[in-house]
Parts: sequence; C-alpha cells; structure tokens
Amino acid sequence: MAAVVHPGQASHLGDWAGRYFHIDQVLDKPGPRTDPSFLAGDGVKKFLREECKILVIGAGGLGCEILANLALLGFKDIHVIDMDTIDISNLNRQFLFRQKDVGQPKATVAAEFIMKRVPGVKVTPYFGKIQDKDDDYYMQFNLVVCGLDSIEARRWMNATLVNLVDPENPESLKPLIDGGTEGFKGQARVILPTVTSCYECSLDMLNKPTAFPICTIANTPRLPEHCIEWASVLEWPRIWKDKKMDTDDPEHIGWLYGVAAARAKEFKIEGVTWALTQGVVKNIIPAIASTNAIIAAACCNEAFKIATSSAAYLNNYFMLIGTDSVYSYTFIHEQRPECPVCGGESVEISISRDFTVESLIEMLTEKQHIQIKKPSLSTPTKQIYLQAPPQLEAATRPNLEKKVSELVADGGEVTVTASSLPFSLSLRITYT
Amino acid sequence: MIKIWSMKKNEEAANKKKPKTSAAQIRVQKDLTELDLPATMQTNFPDPADLLNFTLTITPDEGMYQGGAFTFSFVINTNYPHDPPKVKCLPKIYHPNVDLEGNVCLNILREDWKPVLNLNSVMVGLQYLFLEPNAEDPLNKEAAEDLRRNRDAFIANVRSSMKGSTVKGITYERVTV
Amino acid sequence: MSLSDSQNIEEATTSLQSQPDAKTRRYDRQLRLWAATGQNALEASRILLLSATATSTSILKNLVLPGIGHFTILDAATVTPEDAGNNFFLEGPDSIGKNRADEAVRLLGELNDGVEGKAVQESVEDVLEKKPEWIKGFTLVIAHNLKAKVVQQLSDLLWEDEAGPGLIVVKSAGFLAEFSIQFHDHAVIESHSESAPSLRITEPFPTLLEHATALDLSKMDPTDHSHVPYVVLLVRALEDWKKNHGGNPPKTFPEKKEFKKTISALKVKMDEENFEEAENQAYRCWTETKIPSEVSSLFELPAPSLSSDPNTLQFHALLTALKEFTLTQHPHTLPLSATLPDMHTSTESYIHLQKLYKARAGEDKATFNTLLAKVPGGAEITDDVVDSFLKNCHAVRVLRGRKWGTFDADREALTTALQTSPRETSTHLAFSALSALPSDASPTEESLRAAVHGIVGQDIELPEEFDNAIGEIARSPTADLPTTSAFLGGLVAQEAIKMITKQYVPINGHCVIDLVETWTGVIS
Repeated sequence: MAAVVHPGQASHLGDWAGRYFHIDQVLDKPGPRTDPSFLAGDGVKKFLREECKILVIGAGGLGCEILANLALLGFKDIHVIDMDTIDISNLNRQFLFRQKDVGQPKATVAAEFIMKRVPGVKVTPYFGKIQDKDDDYYMQFNLVVCGLDSIEARRWMNATLVNLVDPENPESLKPLIDGGTEGFKGQARVILPTVTSCYECSLDMLNKPTAFPICTIANTPRLPEHCIEWASVLEWPRIWKDKKMDTDDPEHIGWLYGVAAARAKEFKIEGVTWALTQGVVKNIIPAIASTNAIIAAACCNEAFKIATSSAAYLNNYFMLIGTDSVYSYTFIHEQRPECPVCGGESVEISISRDFTVESLIEMLTEKQHIQIKKPSLSTPTKQIYLQAPPQLEAATRPNLEKKVSELVADGGEVTVTASSLPFSLSLRITYT
Repeated sequence: MIKIWSMKKNEEAANKKKPKTSAAQIRVQKDLTELDLPATMQTNFPDPADLLNFTLTITPDEGMYQGGAFTFSFVINTNYPHDPPKVKCLPKIYHPNVDLEGNVCLNILREDWKPVLNLNSVMVGLQYLFLEPNAEDPLNKEAAEDLRRNRDAFIANVRSSMKGSTVKGITYERVTV
Repeated sequence: MSLSDSQNIEEATTSLQSQPDAKTRRYDRQLRLWAATGQNALEASRILLLSATATSTSILKNLVLPGIGHFTILDAATVTPEDAGNNFFLEGPDSIGKNRADEAVRLLGELNDGVEGKAVQESVEDVLEKKPEWIKGFTLVIAHNLKAKVVQQLSDLLWEDEAGPGLIVVKSAGFLAEFSIQFHDHAVIESHSESAPSLRITEPFPTLLEHATALDLSKMDPTDHSHVPYVVLLVRALEDWKKNHGGNPPKTFPEKKEFKKTISALKVKMDEENFEEAENQAYRCWTETKIPSEVSSLFELPAPSLSSDPNTLQFHALLTALKEFTLTQHPHTLPLSATLPDMHTSTESYIHLQKLYKARAGEDKATFNTLLAKVPGGAEITDDVVDSFLKNCHAVRVLRGRKWGTFDADREALTTALQTSPRETSTHLAFSALSALPSDASPTEESLRAAVHGIVGQDIELPEEFDNAIGEIARSPTADLPTTSAFLGGLVAQEAIKMITKQYVPINGHCVIDLVETWTGVIS
C-alpha cells in the first residue's frame, strides 16, 4: 500500500500520495505480453501526466465517458470539440449533464464537470465544428479519440489525420481511436494513419439507414414509416419550399406528425406516433449508457496503452453484440489498396519551373511503371486539366499551355485520376 | 508512446503523403472524367470550377419522349459516395415516374444506392425512364393511369405536354428542341 | 413558423399536444429498445451493490441513468487516497476519510432524481452473519472483488430460495476481468431475436389459402398483377406445385430450382418486383418447420417447483398452453403472429392481407386463452402478457442457470474447457485462484499456479495462455483500472438490465474479458 498522505499535502497538479495506486501497478512493471520497449517507471508516468496532449472529438454519449476515463487514467491535458448543445434526451446517458444544463454547449459543460471532479486535469473545450480547426491545431496532439455519431464528421477527421502524416516527421502520425454504438451493439478500433486500415477503408461495412422507394411513399404506403417519409420527403418541400426542416424543432416535428397521421388515417395504416415520426425523420439510433461505457472504455484503454506501451494495443477492430449473451469479435480490418484516403500511390516529381501542364501529362502517360491513359489532374482547390466531359475539358484546356509552377506551389499536391487507375495517384511537385 | 514510426519505416510505401483533396472530390473527379455517355446526354456546369453542382440534359432519340430535352439538376454533398447525389427534374413534365415537384422515382437514387455505383449509373438509369416509363410503381399517378389504360392516348398526352400544353388541368413546360 | 393552407390551426395544435412528456423525452433513446414494459420493470427493481469500488460505482452509474427504482450500497469502509484516485463517484481528496458508501450514493444520486439511493455502512460479512434475510429483499445483488469465502456464503444464501434475487459476481485485476450470474431459471419472452415469425406459407390458414387460390393471374390487370403480395404468390405456387407432385413440396435441389422457375414464368413483365420477392423468399416453402426446435424443446422442460419465482411460474403456464395448442389445434403450428413484414404490393392488397392475418391471429389467441384458462395460474395472466407471448412465441428463450462455483467443482468440464477455450478458461481459473488466496497474501505467479492446480488437479497441464493470465494478475492484483472498471461497468449493467427487464438474452456462464488484446469470451 502506498503511504497515506493527508489531503492537505496534495502535491503539484493536484496529485496526492496514493492517487495512482491502481494505475501505477501496470506502469511500474511489464506484463507477460508487454512489448520489450516498454520502459516501466517514472519516464512513462511523466509522459502520460505531464507531456501527453490528447484530443477528444465529441462530448456526447461516448464523449462524456471518454473524458471521465481519460481524466482518471492520468491524462492531464485534454481538449474536446463538440458543436452540439444539451438536449433532454441526452440525460439518460450523458452523465456529465444535468437538467439545468439543457441548452448549454456540451463541450463547455463537460469540460467544467471533469475539472471539478478530477483535480489537476485541464480540459480545454471548443464549442464548434472540427472543420473550423486547421492542420496546425491537430498537429499539437499525440492522440485523437473519436466518439461521434456522424459518418461525415468521422470521414473528415480520418482524412485530416491521414493527410497530416509527413514522411519526414514522425510526430505527424497521430493514432486515431474511434468508437461507435447502437443499442446493445458497438465497435472500437485503432487507426494508425497510413499504417493500418482507415475509416474510409471500411466505408462499405456501414449499415445504411433504411430508405423506402419514393413511389411507395407517394402511392402505395403500407407502413407508418411510409406515411412519415411522405410528410418529410414530399410534403415538406412542396408546402414549405426552401424552408429548411429542423428536426430538433418540436413545431416542425408536430407538423410532420400531423401530416403523417392524417395520411395514415386515409390509408387505414396504424402506428404513426410522435416518437416514430421523430425516430424516422431524425434517423434516431437507440443509445444507452452501458454500451457507451463499454465502447468508450475500450477506446480509452487503447489510448492509454498506446501512450504508455504498458500493454499490447488492439489490432485493430473490436466489435461487440450484447443482445444475445455477450458476443464480441476482435479482428484485423485490412487496408484497402484503392482507398481514396489512405490507399493509392504517391509519386514525387521534380520538374523545372518552365515545365508545362501538357508536358507533365505526357510524362505521366509515358512513365513506364505507371502508364496512365488519359489522366485528369487537379489540386485540392482547382481543376488543372480534366479529360471529360467536353465542357470541362474545354474549360481546362487553356491550362495545358500554362506552366505547372503557375498552378501548383512548390511541394504542392496534384491528384491524378484515370480510368486505367483503380485508385487515385498523388503527385508531389517540386521545382528544380 | 508506442513506436509507430518504426513500424512505418519498415513499410515499403513509407512516403504515402496524400494531398488534401477530399475523398468525395476525388470520387467526383473520377466519376465525371470517366463518364461514358451517348450523344443523347449532356452535362452542363454553370461554374466549371464547381464539380458538385451541375445539370444533365437528356434528349431521347427514340421512344415516346423523342424530341424533348429534359434537364436534371445534380447536387453532390461532401459525404459522397456514402450519400447518393440529389437529383431533381427541373422542368415540370408529364411522366409516370416524375412528379410535379421534380422528384424522380429511380431505385438507385434512394433505397438501392451503394457507394460502388457512380454518376454514370445514375445517368443511364435516368435515360432509361424516358425509354421505358414504368406505370406500375408511379409517382405521377394520373400519367401512369393514362399509360395503363390507353397507350396511344398517353403518347398523345406526352406529345402535347412536351409542347407546353395543358393535360388534365395541369400546364406542363415546353421541352421540345 | 406560419401555417400553410393545407393544414388548419386546430390540427397543428393537436399535433403539438401529442409531444411526449418530459420523462418520456428523457428516456427516449432507451425506450426505443425496451419500451414501457422494460422501463416499468427497471423502475420496480431494487439493486444491492456490495462495496463501493470504482467498478461498483461504474456499474451503478449505468443503472441509475436508465432509471432503476432503488439501489443500496453496502460498504463499511472509509475513502482512502487510493480510492479517491480511481473512482469518478468520489470527489477526489475531499472525499478521503468519509464513508465510501455515503459519498458514492450522494454522487450517483445526482444522475437521476427518479432513483432512490441508500448507503448502508456495514460490512458484507456482518450482514451475512446478522441479517442475511435482508439481502433477499433485492431484485439483484452485485458483488465486486469479494473473497471466495464470502461469495460462497452469499451464493448459498441466495440459491436456497428459488424466487430469490440473482447474484452477479464480478472480478477484476489490472487489464483482466470476469463475471458470472447466478440464477435458477430465466425465461425471456421478448428475446428481440432477429428471426421473424412464420408466415404460414407451408400451412396456410383457410382464409389465406382461399385468397390465394381465388386469384386468376392470367386475367389480371397488369398493375394488379405486379402488386400481388409475394406471400400470396408463394402460397398459390406451392399449392399448384403440390397438386402435381403428390402433395409434396419441392425437396431436392433440382425441384427447388424448378419451383423458382415456375414463379418466374408467371411474370408478365421482366421487372415485376413482387415476383422477384417471391423467388427470393421461396426458401420459406421448404425451410419453414411447424414449430422451431428451440421452442418445441422447451415443451419437454420439467415443471418448475411451486416455490419458483412468479415469472418462471407464469412462463411455464404460458408454455403449457402453447404445447397444448400445438398438440390439439390443426395444423399443429404455433399460434399465428399478426405481424406482417413489408412487401411490394399496393396499400389495398397489403391492408387486406394484414386483415386476414390479424383475424386469424385473433382466433388463435382466443383458442390459446381457452387452453390457458385450464392451466393452473393461467387465468390470472394479463392480456398484455399473453399478447407479448403470442407475438414472440417463435423466439422465446429459457435459460437454466447454475449455482455459483459449479463450474469450478467440475474437473471434467474444466479440463475440456481448457482445451476448447484455453485463454478464457485460463483467465477464469486465475481469478478463482486470486479470490481464494488470503487477503493479506501478495499473489505471485507461483501461488496462483499452485492454487489453480488445487482446483483442476495436480496432473493437468495448463496451456501457455495460462502464463499470460497469471502473469498479468500477479503484475497488478489489486488494480481497479479506470478503463477496466468502466468496461465492466457497461457489460455488467447490460446484463443487469437484461435480467431485470427479461428482455434480450443474458449470459449463462462466465464472461471473461482481456483488455490487453481486447477480447471477450463466454465459457460455461
């Protein structure tokens, strides 16, 4: 047992003797499966508690759990981004929020709660979008843990971290740990950008929300869901034109519910309720505290193991189904060579400042090992030359005579696609 | 921290630095530059620098809708190809599978969309609607009813609607070329 | 928002009033899983937690949030600096020196006003000695990292009463953990199985058969033709097939292929989706059995003793009536379910078909009720329960539980498990050894190995996975890691919810967790 120190003697960063009694057991000694490179003792503790900077994306169901876990694990410099405010339906699982917090930004309330509960931890909230932040911002972190419910946000975060990897700078590789839940099911995965399979690699594994044929909705409704989609997909734009539907506005839901219920009555269909209307138009996914706890714990456990090397880390996908007994499956999700984010090929090309776009294209078609037929070229912000359709070819044709250096900065990137290439090719252009 | 970099160094393709072109952008570029469209279909980009918003005009050279030019708007969001492109028929037309608001009933635009499909598949699907209008699962019920009951009368309605006439109290837009 | 011409003010106002109340909105995301019946069961439950460790409070957090009725934490200990470092439901140094149960109850209580929490400052040992009956007053008892001797006493106490509370025994050390649930019988009506009830295509009820045989596909208008529901098409096609094949359905592979061809041949146009659906669903014509074997096997279960818990008795009454139904009612299938899946058809045909199914399901329910009334206790079962039972009877589940410690007393089973599930069994045994060692001893790999040999026998060779398990436990025998406790907190709460709501299917055996390689496994 560690010596008991009186609370008044708490040392710097709010620590007190015995505080890390539990965690230090795995930091003072390796286990049978710990990598030999693990340096037990003060060094690893210092890194974890004084140097490691970790970013949490999302302060919702998973985010609240992630923040609490990281704080207890001894991470002291935690940042959190969330663009949402607290809703009453969050309170059944987002345990850092209370009734009085409804309407407040999640990131801010969560950060304050953690700092109050766990002494010495600094949580820096950002109430806004992940897209507001630039590469320099993401570069400051050692690790990123994602607890998001949006596919789009995940794709963005994943692509950003893959793109951040700079071959000359080891610090640029930020492990991304991603979690997700649905009812009693969930998954956690470790993504080492460019080294392991990324989020985009597994995009086709995702379940799509149920969509109904539009003619069924329009003419042959059979289910209450068909009536609700009629209200939201066809009637809303017809009646309200360009007015945006706000699925968080009870008046909007009320209108949709009324319209759907009337249609259901007309067709003798049972089962249109307020809850179902809300569920269909918001694509609500059931969520409970316990599943979030499991998945967030799995994510933070990986963050801890990666930060400390105290044990092997997940390679690379853990999925859990708790509906019938406890079933889980841990497997390696393979990288996809044609992945538009982490796959494809990258070629460094050094050309003179006078080199024209046309010559560059010629060079690509003649390159023995690539042999690209009819390549189309663009930079992240504009098209350089597109082979088709005719209008775009004509619009970009004047660029053929231009010098590449007029269009691409030194060290800049050019994306090449062609029908003969199953993936995209990226060129890094430097000038001689 | 674990030494990921050492693992990376062992990898053959150590310098896979990618541009910041988004996955959606790359896919749209690939889809558009590899379009394989017959002469009856033409794309138009109001702003050639914006690949995410454009129109497609179909001018069928056979079938009941021959002689018309039908323009569709395409809006692609940044979650493409997870999300399908949003397609609307711009002119108000008389067609069993297109409603008066421009909604189009094509399975691959909704329930059967998957990321392996591309813009070419959608465009070919749209053209097919003009060659083989489907009366069984309609969006414009009246038009479908006409097609089922009397094909010749339906064709006559199509012809006159394309000229901008009124069919059963609804005035359609002139789409003849 | 202004109102459109398509809707009058009154209508819009009525709609808004249908918005659910604050409690329903708060619980919305979970009600979509277990509905009001599950929620009512949770709110009626009383949970007892033995000791307020980080793992215990993690479990409780996930039960207080969804709204159990009551929890009691039994713990005589005062908060140590070590406790204050790893438990989110203590306030750091401010809690040190205070009673651990008091502090945890106070902070857990803040999560949900609707939940009653109570701290009892006594030790488990004292309670077991002085007022063991008190423990039986709960719905579920959860114990974390108690010594084997205490768990044994608890297990004995709770097992002696068949209607007594279930016991979840949770153990953890460092990156490893395990838990098991002790219960007598656990019957699940709403298993939320992915399997759908029979549509009775092979045994069509009279009105369905009549409807299908009355169709004249050849004279049908093309629109109607493309909207005949696949269920009707299959019933008809199968009936026609049987006429030409001596009353038999397609059996061999070529016959099945041929059967699908006959469906395809009925199309009048290439793209008739209803016929495509019929071809895709044709397997129902030869795979559907009258009664799923999982259900018919339940008919052979011995009758529970009268001292069993009311749920078990009620379930048995329903099962007895169900068995009687399948024995006496032609065509000896389960009662028809009124649930019809969506299919390609017109609104009218769908609603018509739905009516046929509902009417028949209603008749089957009436027959079932008559049979149920003759079963002891059957008449008292509420209509809601009967409805739920009939809706789910194709997928009901019964788990026969075992007393805690049974597995460890069965050397043969352990030996087999060591071969079939070496990593899970090794970790399980390492925990059995850890909890058997005296509390003042610092466990070593040697002492753990010796203790395991004491359980499985001296001559049993332990797999290499065993070295990983004891190595990891010897490394951190008393570490209640925040992530391990959070992971366990989630898993154990999921199981507790399944036990309490009697929805979904809990584990039956030991669930073992390894957070080094991040896997879980169940052994029994």
